[in-house]
Amino acid sequence: MKNVTLGRYIPLDSFFHKLDPRSKICAMFAILIAIFIPAGWIGYAIIGTVIVSCIFIAKLQLDFIIKAMKPMLMMMIFLFVINLLVVKTGDLLFTIGPLTVYTDALTQTAYIAVRLVLMIMLTTLLTATTKPMDMTLGIEDLLAPLEKLKVPTHDIAMMISLALRFIPTLIDEADRILKAQSSRGVDFENGKFGEKITAIVSLIVPMFVSCFQRADDLADAMEARGYVVGAKRVRYKTLKFHGGDYVVLIVSNLILVGMILIWIFVK
Amino acid sequence: MSIRFEKVDFEYSPNTPFAFKALTDIDLELSKDKMTAIIGATGSGKSTLVQHLNALLLPTGGKVIVDEHTIEAGKKFVKTKDLRHKVGLVFQFSEYQLFEETIIKDVSFGPKNFGISEAEAIEKAKRALKTVGLDESYYERSPLELSGGQKRRVAIAGILAMGPDILVLDEPAAGLDPQGAEQMMTLFRKLNKEKGITVLVVTHNMEHVLKYCDEVVVLDHGKLLMHTDMTTFFENEKYMEEANINPPSIIRFKAMLRQRGLDIPSDILSIEDLARYLSRRKGK
Repeated sequence: MKNVTLGRYIPLDSFFHKLDPRSKICAMFAILIAIFIPAGWIGYAIIGTVIVSCIFIAKLQLDFIIKAMKPMLMMMIFLFVINLLVVKTGDLLFTIGPLTVYTDALTQTAYIAVRLVLMIMLTTLLTATTKPMDMTLGIEDLLAPLEKLKVPTHDIAMMISLALRFIPTLIDEADRILKAQSSRGVDFENGKFGEKITAIVSLIVPMFVSCFQRADDLADAMEARGYVVGAKRVRYKTLKFHGGDYVVLIVSNLILVGMILIWIFVK
Repeated sequence: MSIRFEKVDFEYSPNTPFAFKALTDIDLELSKDKMTAIIGATGSGKSTLVQHLNALLLPTGGKVIVDEHTIEAGKKFVKTKDLRHKVGLVFQFSEYQLFEETIIKDVSFGPKNFGISEAEAIEKAKRALKTVGLDESYYERSPLELSGGQKRRVAIAGILAMGPDILVLDEPAAGLDPQGAEQMMTLFRKLNKEKGITVLVVTHNMEHVLKYCDEVVVLDHGKLLMHTDMTTFFENEKYMEEANINPPSIIRFKAMLRQRGLDIPSDILSIEDLARYLSRRKGK
């Protein structure tokens, strides 16, 4: 369980780690939209090069990113199979028994796979270089205009930051209970269907109990330190834009505009 | 029949940016039928070490031998279930592992997992609950409504009901009131001396080590610092200094007496014995 790399912050010292979370989030959205613009292989080549060079600038190791993709592998295989069966346009490639495979099925799957890979690389780049707390600060600031519409942006940000804060704790907890039940002879890997269910129950019930207990304690601790829901709060840490932030915003938006231009003029 | 560690290395999350070497080159043979304390500062690898005993963690180097079972680094270990039946491991804050709706069901959960029939499992559960000092009135209650100390007893009964030859306890007394902690340690001592169960206790409490244990294993930054019997350990101030351990009050008291020219024999290790010895000396 401790080997989960998806969404984990890697404490390093790089250009990306020092950026303002707001500019990183905005830039990520710009490029995310750019990925979904059908600009063909040229477009993906450009975005791919940009993202990979960003990963190097952020001093992240490529195999860390590859590991983050492992959970998506099953989904890609699933998509591939579905596409193979459903898409019936383009040239007929070959036939195996009742199964006919067309060229469009392959290209479409390839498109989806590339999009997914790029998306995971991009989001991993964001989460690996941004501390969870900075991320929520950024989200809160970006949502600030919604406050005028009576959206409780601060509460939302607090919920997100609490949830993020407890992910590692809960992973450790799950790991501990898993081991404790394994010591009592529970087999989490093999076993029949009925045994599997008991195994999962023996993990989930203690998890729930301790989650509620933690939530109770946390609420008390927050109140003891004067936290009031909906009260006006000042911040210890304020976010500031620096030169690099403007560069990142401009570059990401240029890529987005570039993709749109390729889409309109090349096709 | 033995419990042996041979050149055991263990690394958490190897080949990742989070890699952390928790154990280095551990060579250790633990005596069976004894009660052994495993001590060391936080993060010295105590919990990691004991989790090797029932294959919850597999060594990344060297091998662990528990009786007929050999767990070797890089080889697949298949008899996990047999080993876990033999070695009962009680985790730190074990009260969090309770989940069944009644106490009797929770305690009989372990034995049932090892293929023991329902009726026999309940019988074993009843015996285990009696051993930890919980009577029939508790059988049908929910484990979640008990106090922290009682929950801990139920969790320990859950392991005892499995009938392990080796009982491993990771800080069993942490967070209990002093009286509850003493009762707990007395229970383990009794299991060790009367039923011949090998007991390993991870602990921070030197008074407990002094009072209940036969042998001491000291870990420091994932390395084995020493393995010796309890009296030798507490006799040598140098050992305790090396292990960075604050000696129990009786040991400190004896050292102070010695400084003032009063030598106390090394086998006197409790306040009561010391008082008796002193009064006898005065009588002479």
